Amino acid sequence: MVALSQALLNGLVLGLIYVAIAVGLTIVFGTLRLVNFAHGAFYAIGAYVGLVVAQQAGLWWGFLAAPIAVALFAVVLDRVLLRPFYGKDATSQILVTFGIALIVEETLRLIFGSTTQQYPMPAALTTSVSLGAFVYPAYRLLFAGFVIVMLVLVWLFIERTDYGLIVRAGVRDRTMVQLLGGNIRQASTIVFALGAAIAGLVGAAASPIYSIAPGTGFAFLVPSFVVVVVGGLGSFWGAVLGGILIGELQSLTTLVFAPGANVIIYLCMALVLLLRPQGLLGESEVIRQ
Amino acid sequence: MTHVPSTSRGRFIGGAAAASAAAFGFPGILSAQSKQIVIGLNVPQSGPYSDQGLDQLRAYNLAIDQVNKSGGIMGLQVKASVGDDQTKADVAVQNAQNMIDRDGAVMITGGSSTGTAVAVSGLCQRKGSLFMATLTHGDDTTNQACHKHTFRRYNDAYMSSQALARTLISKYGTGTWFHITADYSWGWSVHDNLAAVVNPKGAKEIAYVKLKLGTTDFSAALSQAQAAKPDVLVLTEFGADMVNCLNQAATFGLTKSCKILVPLVDEYMAKGTKDNFTNVVSTAPFYWQYHEKSYNEAKTFVRAFYDRYKTYPSNGAECAYVNILVYKKAVERAQSTDPAKLIPILETMQWNLTKGPEHFRKEDHQGVNSVLVVEGLPEADRGEGGFAYAKVLEEHNGPGVMAPLDGLVCKMETA
Repeated sequence: MVALSQALLNGLVLGLIYVAIAVGLTIVFGTLRLVNFAHGAFYAIGAYVGLVVAQQAGLWWGFLAAPIAVALFAVVLDRVLLRPFYGKDATSQILVTFGIALIVEETLRLIFGSTTQQYPMPAALTTSVSLGAFVYPAYRLLFAGFVIVMLVLVWLFIERTDYGLIVRAGVRDRTMVQLLGGNIRQASTIVFALGAAIAGLVGAAASPIYSIAPGTGFAFLVPSFVVVVVGGLGSFWGAVLGGILIGELQSLTTLVFAPGANVIIYLCMALVLLLRPQGLLGESEVIRQ
Repeated sequence: MTHVPSTSRGRFIGGAAAASAAAFGFPGILSAQSKQIVIGLNVPQSGPYSDQGLDQLRAYNLAIDQVNKSGGIMGLQVKASVGDDQTKADVAVQNAQNMIDRDGAVMITGGSSTGTAVAVSGLCQRKGSLFMATLTHGDDTTNQACHKHTFRRYNDAYMSSQALARTLISKYGTGTWFHITADYSWGWSVHDNLAAVVNPKGAKEIAYVKLKLGTTDFSAALSQAQAAKPDVLVLTEFGADMVNCLNQAATFGLTKSCKILVPLVDEYMAKGTKDNFTNVVSTAPFYWQYHEKSYNEAKTFVRAFYDRYKTYPSNGAECAYVNILVYKKAVERAQSTDPAKLIPILETMQWNLTKGPEHFRKEDHQGVNSVLVVEGLPEADRGEGGFAYAKVLEEHNGPGVMAPLDGLVCKMETA
């Protein structure tokens, strides 16, 4: 029973890490119709910026610098390179964003070398917190709480601001928003930068848990795509539900049959595609476009 | 008129599939010329074992430059054809094939995984090329999947397990053991060997959790270990995976609540895990600080490596270095790079370099040399930029811990 509740909690925390990465991917896709393979690269840049700043000024400054740096990078990418590709066919999008991902990875390799690095966890947070029958790493709990706060903020942005309104409208009918005079261009830039900033922040915040190397981004990209497909394209709550579902599935499968833990997420994706092709919380309108 | 995509979801799913399939090989290009010997250096420069691969590459370059400066091999300059195997068997095989067919490599060396080593070994056997494996520790390379053209100097899992058990049986013999293991031939090999030694002595295995190579989040297995409260936690993980696994284990309180065993370690893993590696018991085939005290050739190598790179060689780097020197010795004795002439020489040749007298065992081409059982030092006590990472508990000589010949399943080809 202890093992089960421990696995459930662990799945939730693991799932929240997936949600944090997938939510940026899904809002960018929802608004810009961009299949963004560079999302993993944003994670990696955030992790490295966080590492460098944290080494100089402390962990919390690293957490602040990472999303800002990555957002600025994303704005430049958006203005200089990506704009013509929004809403275009997937092949060109995959090629260009994949290209960006490769360039970023090799540039990071050039600057930092291939050696894996890790920012040491602050001593105060290396402890475990007692939760009755078992203890759980303090930093993971903090990270989970931090993801929840971040999700609330993103949700407020989407639901409560004018930009959010354009984002939501854009998910349903991009052309109509433009015909009605919505400044979808500016909103696009902001959304793209926001998605990137989230990935960068998560990269920095997760680096005391996972060591980083130039190719780290790809390791998180694949499960994030799965989460978005399972949850439903462009759907905020879909990413939340999908991420937690995938996290719990992985954690529980490890308990029963560990080698299946990686297969189960693709099995889950296949099942969702068969039974509910628009994803668990996907809007059917997206399909009909 | 704005372009409206037809099926956005389909594109996205295609994207997910393409992301999963992403894999690249970038073998270095160096064309073969007639008056030189081309050696293929096939090591991971990206992926979880890249620290180990890059350090091997440093040692290879050092050895090749030294060989070339002293007149090459039989008067021929050595050229390297370098590839990144990404710790993926298919990429490793493709690299090796390019090195042999395109660049004219007469010998392939490298590897940081038994998965890639076994795959490259099979290719080299088919192609009739020599393969001097470097960092591969699973038994398969020189036992279950042994080949006439493959030689492995690095310790195998059997040797490490025997050595570990002999040093620690009094401390670890009983109690409950929890295994977290890399899910491929190396991990299985280490687990099976270790279990075969300690279980009959009274150790009780309570879990054997296998996780794929390249796992970043170990929390599911670690929380399970935490609930099981084992006496010994065995982390059969390597490279960055081991670093992630042990560092995460520490946050679950496991480094305090149980004794941790990491069957194989190197300098980079110890550095990456910092104080979490304190008191962790492990094995290593070579430890620069230990060997340079006793062997002149080891000292020469360690100092040359340090002078060039301002860092100390990991045990995989040492194996890479020695492989080149052993190859040179064998070729000069055979006066040929033809494997048909080289193999009989490698099967009988002795050398005395960094670890005292060594040779390859004729029956399985496993290197006969010593195993160190080491224990991690607290970070504050480590010298030399963290590279002086452990104290040696015991040195076991090769013949004493090797798999007995009558237990081998290796069926060596005749050519």
